[in-house]
Amino acid sequence: MPYEWLPITNDAAPRAVPVTVRAWPHQSLPPAGFVGFMAATAVFIALPLVFLLGSPVFWGLLPFIVLAVVALWLAIQRNRRDGQLLETLTISPSDMTLERRNPHQATQHWQANPYWVSVQIHARKGPVPDYLTLRGAGREVEFGAFLTPAERVTLCEELQIHLAALARAPHPL
Amino acid sequence: MADAALHGHGSEHGGHDHRGFFTRWFMSTNHKDIGILYLFTSALVGFIAVAMTIYMRMELMQPGVQYMCTEGARALASSAECTPNGHLWNVVITAHGVLMMFFVVIPALFGGFGNYFMPLQIGAPDMAFPRMNNLSYWLFVAGTSLAVASLFVPGGEGQNGAGVGWVLYPPLSTLEQGMSMDLAIFAIHLSGASSILGAINMITTMLNMRAPGMTMHKVPLFAWSIFITAWLILLALPVLAGAITMLLTDRNFGTTFFDPAGGGDPILYQHILWFFGHPEVYIIVLPGFGIISHVIATFSRKPVFGYLPMVYAMVAIGVLGFVVWAHHMYTVGMSLTQQSYFMLATMVIAVPTGIKVFSWIATMWGGSVEFKTPMLWAFGFLFLFTVGGVTGIVLSQAAIDRAYHDTYYVIAHFHYVMSLGAVYTIFAGIYYWIGKMSGRQYPEWAGKLHFWTMFIGSNLTFFPQHFLGRQGMPRRYIDYPEAFAYWNYVSSIGAFISFASFLFFIGVIFYTLRYGKRVTENNYWNEHADTLEWTLPSPPPEHTFETLPKQSDWDHSRAH
Repeated sequence: MPYEWLPITNDAAPRAVPVTVRAWPHQSLPPAGFVGFMAATAVFIALPLVFLLGSPVFWGLLPFIVLAVVALWLAIQRNRRDGQLLETLTISPSDMTLERRNPHQATQHWQANPYWVSVQIHARKGPVPDYLTLRGAGREVEFGAFLTPAERVTLCEELQIHLAALARAPHPL
Repeated sequence: MADAALHGHGSEHGGHDHRGFFTRWFMSTNHKDIGILYLFTSALVGFIAVAMTIYMRMELMQPGVQYMCTEGARALASSAECTPNGHLWNVVITAHGVLMMFFVVIPALFGGFGNYFMPLQIGAPDMAFPRMNNLSYWLFVAGTSLAVASLFVPGGEGQNGAGVGWVLYPPLSTLEQGMSMDLAIFAIHLSGASSILGAINMITTMLNMRAPGMTMHKVPLFAWSIFITAWLILLALPVLAGAITMLLTDRNFGTTFFDPAGGGDPILYQHILWFFGHPEVYIIVLPGFGIISHVIATFSRKPVFGYLPMVYAMVAIGVLGFVVWAHHMYTVGMSLTQQSYFMLATMVIAVPTGIKVFSWIATMWGGSVEFKTPMLWAFGFLFLFTVGGVTGIVLSQAAIDRAYHDTYYVIAHFHYVMSLGAVYTIFAGIYYWIGKMSGRQYPEWAGKLHFWTMFIGSNLTFFPQHFLGRQGMPRRYIDYPEAFAYWNYVSSIGAFISFASFLFFIGVIFYTLRYGKRVTENNYWNEHADTLEWTLPSPPPEHTFETLPKQSDWDHSRAH
């Protein structure tokens, strides 16, 4: 699931220490998969070069083969980088901040007091079904728009429970 | 922070298309539109390449030369004097081969169906690099234009066009005069660049943009076939690009890579060409394997038999395809050991191919088989591809190849694999998905009539060529002695029936797109068409899967 609560705990009660929710878009290629695929490709594509060692034709083929491997490497890395968006929501008893690290733009920030923050799910009004937003400090911002609708619904419920518990907690706000 | 984008997008999420005609079709970055562009363009080029075959079969219908005359090419036979124009013949066979190999079958199956359906089947919103996808398509168009233009610029024998055969063997290709040969080489360069960019796009999409939960062992077979094809393209095309670049420098810059007078080796070109050329056969046919798996499962109302063996059979075919190339050149003077190796390695390919064929049969076994048009094409493919495969085993024998090399037996063999094999899968794919792509369904009777006329016509064309090969008729000749007349006549009749069938098909497509019955269901076949494209409206909206699909949409706990 491309979001996680930190620190990991089974205790639903709010604590004085900040908790963090990190969300990122789904990518189906793990780093080990990338390494394995590139290695297999490099081995197979080099096969004709082995047979041509010592021939001038080797040098005629080499640039095209290197170009193909480099292009594949760059393409996959670019695609992975494009998807490396990270949203980090930090909730402490007195402060709630959201940081969004974009792959190609400046990092964006939002901050509000958790007591006043409203977590809402918009079944149809957003750009995606079950659009999750946080309203506070005069702004309404999206959270986890890249998650699946089911994940957003679950995350919304978890956030609402956490914030409600935080509001009931005895520590000063 | 990204401010919430509320109010109003939800209802538009169905994807109403507001693009103008020019924007949509000339500047498209949408994988579905680019897939359709590939299909239409390859159909147009296919028509040109098929028309050439009709002209060839007209010429070969009777002994003697009646149409391709030095006095001028004729459309109708006449009693006027006719001096055989061998160069024109060579140009036509070369163009037919180049167009079919590079600009028709791969663009249709890999570019067309691959672009349209691979992202849909894995639940990706588009290709990984949509603008690069657009570039791939237009490079393909530019390459096609150069290939066709090469027919009309000065070439060998003081005439237009390059007549060296699609394999472009030196020294013929390095000595061919005029710029036609250079244009043909540039055409293949552009086609190669297009294919490599397309392959990188497909690989990246498939590896990194699969829906959550869709591990590689849960990917539908068509998407797998496109992925393996893309990988083969990536491994094979750079080799071809290097080879033809060296041809180009041998022709124009005085290098001697393939010229023995300067220390080069023309046989080495053949090795490199076939190192690309044999995987090319699987590049052509593998996407067809993927289509056939879905069609057979759908119309047998059963999940495909042996999903994992089917996947790894394709992988094995792809890998083995790279280590058998020299069976195309048994007669160049290889050692006995080399010939033995290539013979054995070639025969091993029958194992994974057999796994696929038997798995398709096992899928049908005990199923509720329904003979809708796509299934007829799948049946046709299965039977005819097997025939082509069996003659392939015959040709793999180095000793027998001595007799059959460069005869019509070889022509019959590879047309059974590619013309009757791969092309039948294109038709199967079109009839299977046209309702999904266009929102309109073809008339069933018309699809069946198309199939039967093509089945009869294409078999009548190519089966007698086995006999001609066994009689010893060599390929690439404009004329032949009286002894070969009978089966050539039959073959030509078959070609005319096939062409009539192809024209009828164009009519069927035109009718379907204009007047076909509207498709109202997402899945107009049955529950065994269970990949993700069948969860979408027909035609699908401009944007699909912007929200990732749920696992329950595609994971039916059985092989796809």
